[in-house]
Amino acid sequence: MSIQFEQVTKRYRGVPVVNDVSLEIAKGEFFVLLGPSGSGKSTLLRGVAGLTAIDHGRISLQGRDVTFMNPRERGVGFVFQHYALFRNMTVGENIEFALDIRGVPAARRRERRKELLKLVALEGMDERLPSQLSGGQQQRVAVARALAHEPEVLLLDEPFGALDAKIRVELRRTVREVQRRLGTTTILVTHDQEEAFALADRIGVMHMGRLLETGRPEQLYRQPATRFVATFLGAANVLLGEVTSPRVRLGSALVSQPGHARSDAAAGTEVVTVVRPEDLEVAGLKRDLMAPCLGEGTVVETHFGGGTERLFVQLAPSVSLRAAARTDTQSGSGCILEITRTGAEAASAPVRLGQSIALGVRRIHVLPTPVSSFLFRAATREAVAELRQSALVAQLVQSTRANSSETIVSEEGPAGDLRNSGVVVIDSAGRSVADLADLLTGGARRLLCVSRMGPLPRRVVIYCPDQAPQGETMSLVASLVRHINAEATFVTVLPEGAPTTARTAAIRRLLDTRAEVRSSHGLDLRTEVLEGDSSAELLALVSGPEPALLVMGMGGDRRALEESLSREVGWMFGGDGQHPLLVAYDGPRSAQLGAP
Amino acid sequence: MSAGAAPRTWRLREPSILPGFGLTFGYSVAYLSLIVLLPLAALAVSTLEAPLAKVVETVTDPRLLAALRLSFGTAALAALVNAVFGLVVAWVLTRYSFPGRRLLDALIDLPFALPTAVSGIALVTVFSREGWIGRFLEAQGIQVAYTWLGVTLALTLIGVPFVVRTVQPALMALDPAVQEAAASLGASRWQAFRRVILPTIMPALLTGATLAFARGVGEYGSVIFIAGNLPMETEIVPLLIIIKLEQFDYTGAAIIGFLMLTLSFVMLFFINLIQAWQRRRAGMAG
Repeated sequence: MSIQFEQVTKRYRGVPVVNDVSLEIAKGEFFVLLGPSGSGKSTLLRGVAGLTAIDHGRISLQGRDVTFMNPRERGVGFVFQHYALFRNMTVGENIEFALDIRGVPAARRRERRKELLKLVALEGMDERLPSQLSGGQQQRVAVARALAHEPEVLLLDEPFGALDAKIRVELRRTVREVQRRLGTTTILVTHDQEEAFALADRIGVMHMGRLLETGRPEQLYRQPATRFVATFLGAANVLLGEVTSPRVRLGSALVSQPGHARSDAAAGTEVVTVVRPEDLEVAGLKRDLMAPCLGEGTVVETHFGGGTERLFVQLAPSVSLRAAARTDTQSGSGCILEITRTGAEAASAPVRLGQSIALGVRRIHVLPTPVSSFLFRAATREAVAELRQSALVAQLVQSTRANSSETIVSEEGPAGDLRNSGVVVIDSAGRSVADLADLLTGGARRLLCVSRMGPLPRRVVIYCPDQAPQGETMSLVASLVRHINAEATFVTVLPEGAPTTARTAAIRRLLDTRAEVRSSHGLDLRTEVLEGDSSAELLALVSGPEPALLVMGMGGDRRALEESLSREVGWMFGGDGQHPLLVAYDGPRSAQLGAP
Repeated sequence: MSAGAAPRTWRLREPSILPGFGLTFGYSVAYLSLIVLLPLAALAVSTLEAPLAKVVETVTDPRLLAALRLSFGTAALAALVNAVFGLVVAWVLTRYSFPGRRLLDALIDLPFALPTAVSGIALVTVFSREGWIGRFLEAQGIQVAYTWLGVTLALTLIGVPFVVRTVQPALMALDPAVQEAAASLGASRWQAFRRVILPTIMPALLTGATLAFARGVGEYGSVIFIAGNLPMETEIVPLLIIIKLEQFDYTGAAIIGFLMLTLSFVMLFFINLIQAWQRRRAGMAG
């Protein structure tokens, strides 16, 4: 491994800007860190160079731990967005700087300078001053300068950000060629997905300090695991579908899932599906479609884009299809889908604004996230509005951009149909353990209790009582922590004086869980083993100075669930419900409540 | 470069979209003439009108030569001290944030605002033989008040804001990434400072030091209190001019004034040349 990150965390004023990032980059690999501004990608890169000290975790280069090493001893090459050339030196002096510092003889320096200038196509520019060069040329000099001391690792921080489009493409090609020729392990940071696609062997997408996913460009584009990556990498229609094993119902279409990425969700489960604009088919009439028909709609926007055409189609209100993402254009009357067609397709079946057409869907991808949508349950409309304003919920809805709906229920009435719902959100004030158990066994498999005035959690504590199955909980946790700025810790509580065997088993179980979360969700968690009474320990954990969200994975039948809840978190009820609680339930449903 | 280019003809005014060239240029010339050039010309005229013997006698007066040495010497020394410590202060003020930074920043301008005589009296209070600090220095055999040391001290105080205020913007304009680049290329902090930062801010530092020097040469109010004004020892040139004036020797005063003017002009001119060269080197020339 050329570069290795282990649980790297960096906080600014208590807020993690890089959150538990673990990543390995192979020798000679071109790795692109992609993310919106403020996602922590630059901070992570600066951590490798030693320009920013990290608060937790470890960074190794070539197997050498450099976490506490001075930047000048790390031997990396760093290229800055605004070149950062030494303006008082000529191009030649800039390039020779690293060698000069190392006391390399002048003849050898000159030789290397010639070599590097040739590499970045700036031969004969030795005597120029940086101020006499264009932006693109200056960045070429910066690349050459960073390579002078033959670093094992080259780090580029938005290197093309300050350049105009044409120069950018040209320089991108140079950088790729230089990297191929020298085989230097490279990390490039950018917010431009096109740049990432053009350069990367592998892409890592960052959001809110978390490394969400890593993979080859086409893999991330075709099979993203998260809603964020799906929409950040290229355009995507994110829709709510329903599993009708083995296919997925999307509007009026039944689409089969690609075999290698089949969701194993049970029939009737609501899932988030991604349909790329090029995977939608347009025809004047339903019978002309080659692919299963999604529904009919009206063309509301067309964009001519040279080789391709972009269409926006509003589905007819009769089509029962919900967008999984809130869109601002959505106005109650059928969601709007984006379609791209090649020039040839557009020419053979031209459409015009306002025309009514049929839409077919060729291919879908089902996201493994359990957070498909939010359902707010409260007695009055005002109460729902208050729930929505609680800091945690507002943050989650905003950053998942998930669709949300509301149900107004009188407290005494029936639980209503909770099947096929995403995350059910209720107010924690005045709830009892029995209420929770009712909802959970009634079909709300993921239940979030929040208090209206509660602060935004900075920590997430995850706890699964012994026998509870964890797969469901962990995929919920993985989805959750990607969308809030908090540090997640998975805890186990042992009774006081537990035998060594029990202790070892508990630790092994923790590490297994962590490894599993890492391999199946690409996410790293902290782990902690505590000793004592679990209920008291949990209370102590969540009542620290920083607000915490408790996530519990539960199982068992109705009675076991109620018992388990009151034993572990009984302290949460009866009071004013200060701490937010998220429960993932994987037990049997009770018949009378679950039935529609 | 191209052979067919039209021969350049000199024009006072290039066509420009910026308005008011005539008005502002006229005003600048009138303003400078009235306030700077005319009085200086009068000085030159009265010197040139003086009999040659009088000029030679005044200029070769050992008392004047000693005063010139003291004035220019202490001003140069004070400028040097300020260049070093002013840079440190400017560095602290721009690069770090600490409680009281704004207060410290405001304190820098104080020597500008204070009547110089007040600074002089304040210095005497602190550094005279019985003063707060002077008393300890006295015990070590160091006498500040009424020596050239005192003069240098006064001029240093007066010159501080010049250096700090010119270096500050240059430091702020310096991209911190440049320092980081130097570190990632293997430079130690000192190497980064010496080879990258210092050369970049050198023009500003030189400007600040020059301003401090020029101000020091002409400074009067703060110096006379702490200098003691012993002939041949701690007498500064501006004081000599005042003495001449008090003796109604206007020609003598004018001759000394003209001499100072010439010396200062020559020195400033050369420093300006160096600066222009440096600026070109640093790639900032337009």
